[in-house]
Parts: sequence; structure tokens; C-alpha cells
Amino acid sequence: METNDTGKNIIIAGVGGQGILLFSNLLSKYYLKLGYELKISDVIGLGQRGGGVESHFRYSTKPVLSPFIKAGDVDYVISFEQTETLRFLHTLKKDGVIFSSTYELTSTSVNTGLQKPMPESKTELIKAADNKKYIINPDEHKSADFNISKMMNVVMLGYYAEFRGYSHNDMIQIVKENVPEKFVEGNIKAYEKGADIARNNLAAK
Amino acid sequence: MKTGKELGTIKMMNGNEAVARGAFEAGVKVAAGYPGTPSTEVMDYTNLRYKDIYCEWSNNEKVAVEVATGASFAGYRSLALMKTVGLHVAADALGGAAGSQINGGLVLVVSDDVGRIAGDDYNDCRHYGNMFNIPVLEPSDSQEAKDLMVEAFEISEKYSTPVILKTSSVICKTTSKVIIDENYKYEAKFRDKYPISFSKVIMTTIMTKAKGSEHPKLTKCFNDFVANMAQLAEDSNSAHYNRLELNSKKIGIITAGTPYYYAKEVLPEASFLKLGVINPLPKKMIQQLAAHVEKLYVIEEGHDVLEKNIKDLGISVIGKELFPKFPDMMRFTPDVIAERLVPDAEVRKPRTDVPFRLPIACAGCSHNFISSILKKHKIKAAADVTCGLIGCFPHMESYQLQKCMGSSIALTHGYNIAKNYSENFVAMIGDGGFWATGVNGLMNLVFNNSQSTVIIVDNSCLAMTGGQNVASSEFGFNYKPENRLDIAKVCEGIGIKDIVTVDAYEYETLEKSILNAVNAKTNSVVIVKKPCVTQFKLPKSEPFHIEQDACVKCRKCINVGCLAIESKKNNDGEFEIVINQDLCTGCGLCSTVCHKDAIKN
Repeated sequence: METNDTGKNIIIAGVGGQGILLFSNLLSKYYLKLGYELKISDVIGLGQRGGGVESHFRYSTKPVLSPFIKAGDVDYVISFEQTETLRFLHTLKKDGVIFSSTYELTSTSVNTGLQKPMPESKTELIKAADNKKYIINPDEHKSADFNISKMMNVVMLGYYAEFRGYSHNDMIQIVKENVPEKFVEGNIKAYEKGADIARNNLAAK
Repeated sequence: MKTGKELGTIKMMNGNEAVARGAFEAGVKVAAGYPGTPSTEVMDYTNLRYKDIYCEWSNNEKVAVEVATGASFAGYRSLALMKTVGLHVAADALGGAAGSQINGGLVLVVSDDVGRIAGDDYNDCRHYGNMFNIPVLEPSDSQEAKDLMVEAFEISEKYSTPVILKTSSVICKTTSKVIIDENYKYEAKFRDKYPISFSKVIMTTIMTKAKGSEHPKLTKCFNDFVANMAQLAEDSNSAHYNRLELNSKKIGIITAGTPYYYAKEVLPEASFLKLGVINPLPKKMIQQLAAHVEKLYVIEEGHDVLEKNIKDLGISVIGKELFPKFPDMMRFTPDVIAERLVPDAEVRKPRTDVPFRLPIACAGCSHNFISSILKKHKIKAAADVTCGLIGCFPHMESYQLQKCMGSSIALTHGYNIAKNYSENFVAMIGDGGFWATGVNGLMNLVFNNSQSTVIIVDNSCLAMTGGQNVASSEFGFNYKPENRLDIAKVCEGIGIKDIVTVDAYEYETLEKSILNAVNAKTNSVVIVKKPCVTQFKLPKSEPFHIEQDACVKCRKCINVGCLAIESKKNNDGEFEIVINQDLCTGCGLCSTVCHKDAIKN
């Protein structure tokens, strides 16, 4: 865990139903415990019906002013859907980091033929970005008893916590305290899976 | 200065939670409202956490304001909740309350969908402050949302006027800290200032200064609300809710709401007038700032309301010439301010080739069954404000016309009489829109001898705003089975000749019912029942899949408008039409349109 962390600006992105708000809620509990000031702004729109969801998450040792992060000031883009990752690449600082799933929910306007699909592979476009990036392909981690696509939010939380060197015990405690009891076990499994994938990825780098 | 710990407990709340907390701390007794994104949750939180407060989802916004006004007249603090589009519906009720004496404080919590994040409206409720000469308050974070909610009631009673607390899509959905007193003991605040003179609380505005109004029997009824507002304007020059921050002499900014924080972050050295009450304006503070700085800007989201009001005070200010309003600007962000006011600011632009996302119906939605049948038989239709309105978008083209909440029945009647019923043109309306104002259109249709057909989609709730109860729901804050309104019985009572109720998933029966109704030479109603798949989490059936060998990619199934059907590249880079197995509910509608029999379960 880095010392003297005065705060970070994070954009969490995806589509409706991916649990973006749960992710930012769980993460906020961690930073609150550390005594940071926080502002979290959710742009939901018609998320449930195929729309994008974005959460501007800011923690700081000083009071946070704007609820929206100015493009160019973002430290981390954490995205659960790769079209949405592309939408926020321009907001990253030069040394900002991308965490992205390769999961894709095709845009409704492309499905219906209103818009042309992007000719390039979205995953390749993300890989070509100047920023440091960590990419999770859910298909590589699928198993019969665990639908990783449905749990990507908590998988990503585990991944992010490992990347930042945070205490997994503290984080798992937060998961326990904040998800309904019947989902605790599944969420802890997802969290540990994420931390696991991160350990392998980070070691490989 | 005391720290947060000494003052109370720090809680993280979004704007909606904070407004609900403010209502609690203000001693509100009655809360009435109508759901509308982004402020719907104010009522949900109030009902969930503060059981002492009576809560109701009213039939529409006008009814909500009337309920709150009645409670205020009875001496109790009351609030009415709605989004700005809803205030248009309630404007007549607010106009009646404005200008009359107030017993218990009366506050309207109204939210603008700034940036059109959830809706398609670009309205600004602050105009009503000017129109009715009433105060408008605007918070810039959750702490202020709570504090100004309490202040709104104080102002309402002190200056005897209804007050608007304006929030925005950003305030409502932004979580920040709020300091609360956990030991606060709720007490419903009561004030019986005008106990006997009913005449003092009738619509006195129309009589003030009218010809012949000098008679003492009339003058004693007058409420000099104009003088009250002038007094509030004067008092606001030294009020704690307006704050002058005199720094650099180069740039001065008058602002309110979240734009204050956008500007503060981008221009930390600038001088600021941060307004908590945006109507009326503190003239002396504005003059003081104007005298202090070389250039004075007004930074506001929405319309140029502050700007016009400041200019009306005779003070020149730079506003929309630098920050153009709709349609040039939708969402006001720090980037917009930096681009225009910070020399050499780095401008980052998003990629323009990333496909946008238009909303589409949830998998298994009953609306898709209806629009599919209408399209199949080339029946034209007006949609309403309902999840079904998604069918109006160009990627669906299921409906020809769509206007405001509850409008589709009267729109259809008008269309049909103008065209002498020469086309098959029907109305589609949700249960929410039907009860809100659509029922008026239906009564009108009967006694004006219309032969139109109305399809009422009964999904047992207001689905689009998150499943709140309507008059015919089997749940609700004040629900009792014996008080539930029955759509079919009401239609029958109104005098509809031909009424049929069908299950949305019974495709053939539904198709036949719609065709029968359209062909009947009388007024008719088809009630299509199916609880909202998303809100009621209906059990799923076996998901369908597309057999790629049989599929000819005609896209007929995609045009059903289901979120679960995607067109995407397979591992060989070829486009395929596929059904998302996680999203499919197994309703099978897509299989009815496939002429190659490629969709199976």
C-alpha cells in the first residue's frame, strides 16, 4: 500500500445491471475507514435498459469539490464493459491506469442497425492505449459453478485491492457487512478470484 | 471551529437521502409526491427511515401539491415532491398557493434533469420562482440539501409563501458527507397563524390591487406577498445561506448548486458569490462583488435564469455569451469552465466513434408483445410516458407519436376525428400514465363520441421510475386491498363499450383482442396484464438461442426490441445474431417473428 496517498480520481464504468453502484459503495466504506473525504457521483440514465452507467469516485485528504472529474484528471478507469472503457480513455491522466473487462454488451443502436459497429477490435484498441492497462477476459476464468460475468464488480474490487496493496481482510469484512447474507459467500468467492487473477497478472508483468 | 465529531455523526448520503433527512429535521408531517427521476428516492427514503412522516404517492403532481397545501393550511409542515416536468402538471396548484398566507411551511422539492441524464426534457424549474414570485433555494451538496430543506420551511413560514427547493440530477445522485445529530427527536411542527380567516388563504393574488378592491372587507384578506418577497430579498444580503468569498480581483463568479464546485475547482483563486437562495437575489452582495472584480461571470446550469435576474437588477454580467445554453450545451461540467476561462487549458475530447446506447426494453417486457403486434398489422399508435415509449425511438419505430404523461388517449382521439377514422390509429398507455391524467382523456373520449381504441398496459407499478405503486397496484405506502382501484371497472364506469383483459404472454389471444378492438365501430379498451419483469423479478423460463446454421440474419428478431438479442462478432470475426443467455427470460416473443424457425429453447 502506497504511503502518503493524498487521494485519487476514479471513473467506474459499465452497463446497467453490472453492479457499479455496489462496487463504489463497497470501495467508499474502505476509504471512509481510512478517514478520507469522499464524493461519489453516479450517472445512471436509463442504465437498466441497455444504457451506460458511470460513477465518478473521488477520495482525498482535502475536501472534494466537483462531483464530476475533469477529463485529464482521472487516475483509474475501472470498467466492466469494454465499449464503456473506450468511452472514458480520454479522461485518464498520462500516468493513469486502465482496469477493463473484455465483456461486451453490444450497443442497442448497433444491434438495430442504426449505427455501424466499430471496425476494429475493442480489446485491441484498449491494448493500444498509451496508459498502463490491466485486462480481464471473463471467458478465461469461467467455470461451471461460477459465472464471472455476473460478478465482475466484486471480482474487480479484489483485483483493484490487490493492485493497491490493500488489506484483503478489511475489504472482505466490508463485503460481509454490506451485501445481503445469502450473497455473502458468492461475493467473497468473487473477491478472492479477482485478487487471485491480479496476483498472477501483476507477477507476469 | 467545532469538528464534525463534536457536532454530530458523519453520514454519507446522496442528495435525495439528505433532503429526506432535512424533511425529518424540519418536523414535516405530510409528504405527497409523484415519482420522477432523479428525485423519486426522496419519498422512498422518507417512508423507509422516518415513519413519523405521513407519505403518499399521489395520483399525479397536481394532486400532490394540493394535498401538501391542505396539510399546510391545517397548520402542519408539508412537502410536495416531483421532477420539473411534474411541476408543469402541478403549476395551477402552485399558482393558487403562491400569494396566499401560509400556516405550516409548504415546500415543493423539485428536481431538474440537468444534462438530460434520464429524460428528454430540458426544463428549468427556477422559472416558476419568477412567475409566481416565490423563493427558490438550491443546494450544492448533500449537507446543503439537508440544511436548506430545513431553511426552506423557516422561510416559508417567516415570509408566508410556498418555497421551491430545487435539486438536480447531479445533486440527487451524488453522495457526500452530512453531519447529523443522531439524538435529534422528531416533532411534527405546527403553526396556526391564520386560524379562522379562511378568506386569508383563498387565492388572494387575483384580488390584490384589482379595481374596487379598496373595500375593507377585501383589503383585510390581502396578503402583501410582494412586500414579503422584497423583505426576503433585503434580508438575504446578510443571510448565512448566501456567501461572499472575496479573493482575486480579476474574476468574480456568481453561482449556485454544483456549478459552484465545478468553478471553485477550476478557478480556486477567483472571487465568488455562492447563492443558497437563488430567488430573490441579494442585490447588495452582487453589487459588492461587481465592485471588487474586473470581470463578473454568472455560472449556472439549465437556463439563463440567474443571468436575466441579475441583469434586471441593472448589473452587467457575462453569462450565456460564454456558456451557451441548450441545445449547444447539455451537461455542465468543470471541463466546460476550464475550456473557456483557463488560458491554455488542455482540452480532452472523447473518441467520436464509440457507439452510443439508446434505451431498449428489458428482456421479457410486455411492451414488446404489444409493439410487435401493432407493427405486424401496420396499426399506427400513440405511445405515452411509459417504458413502452422506447418503441418511439428511431431504432424501434413501433409508435408514431409520443408526448407528455397521460396524453396518448386524447392524442389518438384528436388524430382520429381529424382523419375521420380512416386509419387504424390506437392509443397505448401504461397504468401509471392512465391514472396520472390519462383517465381524463378516456372520459373525454366517451362523452365526445369517439370510436378510438385504447391499449392499457398494466404492469402493476410505475416501472420506469423504479416500481412505485399506482392506484391499481397491489402494494403501496397506504395500501389496503379494498381500496385498490380496478382499471377495468373504472373503464366500465366511465362508459367504455368494449373492454377485454388479456395476459401479455398469450400472444394469439392478445393479437386477436387488439384486432377485434380496432375493428369494432365503438370505443374500446384492451387491458394487457403482466407484472413488470424487472421490478417484480418474475421467474425466468428456459432461455432461447439462435441456431446459426438456420439464421439468415434478417434481423426481424432484433426489431422485437429486446435487450437480450445482440448482433456481435464471433471468434472468426463474423457477425452473428445471438441471444444473451444471462439476460433472456425465455418469453419466446422473438421465436414468433422468426420465419426460418431458427430460434429454439
